[in-house]
Amino acid sequence: MVLTACGRSDAPPGPKLEGASAHSGSELDGLVEIVTRSDVAMVSLPGGEFIMGSNKGNADEAPAHKVRISAFLIDKYEVTHEMFRKAQLPNPSRWQDNPNKPVERVRWRDAKQYCNERSLLEGLKPCYDEKTADWDCDYAANGYRLPTEAEWEYACRAGEDGPYDFGQPDKLRQYAWFADNGAEKTHPVGEKKPNRWGIFDLYGNVSEWCEDVYTPTYYKESALMDPHGPPNPGKDVKRVMRGGSWKASADMCRATFRQGQQTGDSDACFFTDYCGFRCVRRASPGELQQLRGNSR
Amino acid sequence: MLKIRSGSRWFTGHPLADLILAIGLSLPGWAALAQSPLAKRLHSSPFKIAYETYTNDNWEIFVMNADGSSPVNLTNTPREQEHYPQASPDGTKICFSVDEGQGRDTIRSLYVMDADGTNRKKLVDHAREPFWSPDSKLIGFLPQEYPKFNVIDYYTKGMSFYDLSTGEVKPHPNSANLHHLYNACFAPNGKWVVATVHAGMGVEHGILLIAAHGTNTINLKIPGCRPCLSPDGKQIAWGSGDHEIDVAPIDLDADSPTVGPWRLRIQDKTNETYHVDWSPDSRFLSLSRGPASKGDPTKPGTFQSACEMVGVYAPGWDLCAVSAEREGTLDLNQAAVEDFTMLTTNGLSNKESAWLRTDAKKGSEQ
Repeated sequence: MVLTACGRSDAPPGPKLEGASAHSGSELDGLVEIVTRSDVAMVSLPGGEFIMGSNKGNADEAPAHKVRISAFLIDKYEVTHEMFRKAQLPNPSRWQDNPNKPVERVRWRDAKQYCNERSLLEGLKPCYDEKTADWDCDYAANGYRLPTEAEWEYACRAGEDGPYDFGQPDKLRQYAWFADNGAEKTHPVGEKKPNRWGIFDLYGNVSEWCEDVYTPTYYKESALMDPHGPPNPGKDVKRVMRGGSWKASADMCRATFRQGQQTGDSDACFFTDYCGFRCVRRASPGELQQLRGNSR
Repeated sequence: MLKIRSGSRWFTGHPLADLILAIGLSLPGWAALAQSPLAKRLHSSPFKIAYETYTNDNWEIFVMNADGSSPVNLTNTPREQEHYPQASPDGTKICFSVDEGQGRDTIRSLYVMDADGTNRKKLVDHAREPFWSPDSKLIGFLPQEYPKFNVIDYYTKGMSFYDLSTGEVKPHPNSANLHHLYNACFAPNGKWVVATVHAGMGVEHGILLIAAHGTNTINLKIPGCRPCLSPDGKQIAWGSGDHEIDVAPIDLDADSPTVGPWRLRIQDKTNETYHVDWSPDSRFLSLSRGPASKGDPTKPGTFQSACEMVGVYAPGWDLCAVSAEREGTLDLNQAAVEDFTMLTTNGLSNKESAWLRTDAKKGSEQ
C-alpha cells in the first residue's frame, strides 16, 4: 500500500529527501506502508535532512540544529497489548481492557526485549546484545530497536517546522489523547488522526522510549548524521522519552519537547503508566522492495 | 533492662546506670566481647534456614543453622541453577525451582528433595514459585504464562497443586482467572493462599487472599508485595516498599479477613529489604537485604532485571534475622543486638531464606 496522503487530501510535504529529485509522485518520497512478517504495520521513511530541536522551546530543545537521517521503517502505531502477547512477554500495563491499547508501565529494557523478540519472530538479526549491561545496540543489524531521538523527531515533524506538523495547537485534540481529552487513561491506538506521514499517536496516548541517553545539553554537540545521543555517563542514567501522553499538557505534546526518564530497570514494579514505545528498523533496499511487494 | 537507644548507644534512663553503661560501652573491645542475644537465641532454636546463593558462577541452595553458622551446599549442581527453596511445614522436604538452559530458552522447573538434599525429584516444567500446603502433602505452584522464558516474577498464569503421594497435578478451581500472581503462600488454616498480583485480575498491583478451594478473592489493600503468613496464623509480614517490611495482625478464620495496622516495621534506608519469612514458631523473621541493582548479564545462569527477582544476580545481598516479638520501627542500620543479627556476610546473592524445623522424622541435621 502506498500512502498517498496519509489518509488526508493534502499531499505529504517532506523534508529535503534523499533521491527526491529522481522521482515524482507519492511513492517517490518513500512514504510507503508495509506490513511485516509478524503482521505489524510500519511506515517506510526515506532518508533526509531536517532541523531538529527548537530555539523557542525549553532550554534542552536548543539549539535548533541540522540533522541528517538515513532511511528507516517505523511502526505506524504504538506497541499494543496484542503485540506484547504475540511476543510472549508479560504485559505490565495498568489498563488491560482492550488489546489494541498501547502497553505502558514498560521499563526501557522491557521495550528493548520486545524489539529483540520481534526480530527473532521475523528471522531478523536482533539489535540488542543481551549480554551487555545496557543491552548495547548494533545499529547495523536489520532487527527492531527503539528509535533514536533524532529518528523519532524526524518522523514526528514530518517535514514541518512548527511545534506540531498539523499546524495550529487548537487542532491537537484531533491528533492526540492528552491531558485535556484523555480521561486519565490510555486509548486504543489509531483512533486519532495520523501525522502527515501516516503515523498515529506520536503526540499523545503514551510517551515513547527512545534509545538515547538523555542530557539537557546534547544538542550543543549532536552529530550531524544519524546522531545516537551522548555516551552513557554510567550513573543516574536517564533515557529519552518523546511524545505526549494521556497525562501530558499540550506543551508536552510538541514535536520538539524532550524528557529524560529513569529506565526502571532495577525496579521490580515500574509504575510509570504513560511509558510506552514503538519500534524502528533499517532495511536494505532489496528487503524494502520485497516488503513493499508483499504488502501490496 | 535496656530500653532506649540513642545514636549508637543504649541508655536505661537512670543517670548513674547510664554513666556506668556509657563508660562500659566506650571500652575497647566491648563489641567483640559482647554476644548477640538474638544470635544466641537462634543458635539454640530447633531450626535451620535454607536459602539460595550464587557461588562459583552457579546458583545453589544452602542450609545453615538459624544463627547463620555451618552453611552446607545441599545441591552442588554446576550446570543447574537452583533457587527459591521452600521448606515443608513438617520440616522433612524442600521444594525449589531449577533453571536449565540459556537465555530465553531457559526452562524453569520445580523439584523437591529431602531436607538433607537427597532424593531429588522433578515435579513439573515451566512453573515457578512453589509453596507448601499446611499438611506438607501438596505443593502449590504458579505455571509460567508462556513457554518462552522470562525472568519477570509475575510471568504466571493460573495456579496448580502437585500431590506428593500420587504425583497428580490439579488446577486450582479458579485457575483460569488467576493471572500474574507471584510469591504465593498457604495460610496455616488451609483456607487461603496469599499472593502478590501485578497487572492482572483487574488489579494494578496488590496483595490478594485467594480461597484455596474456591473462587473467592479478596484484595487485602495493603501496599507492596511478597506476603508471608506466620505459622501461628495470626500475622502477615510483607514488603511494604523497597526498604521496608511490615508486620500486622490478620484474622484468617474470618469470612473476609482484613489486615490490621502494622505493629512492626523493619526499615533499611540504605539497602533494599525483601523475601521475608517466618520461623516455624512465629517468633523470628529472616529477610534478604542489599543494594538496588539490575543484575549482571555476564554471570552464567543469571538474568537482568530488578535484583530481588529469582535468578537475578544480587551483589552484596545477605540474609539477616530479626525478632518478630518487638513492636514499632526497627531500623536495621541502628538495631540493637537483641533484635537483629546478620546470618550471612559474604554478599554472594544470598536471597529467599526459608526456615526449616529440625525436629522432623527425616533429616535436616548436617
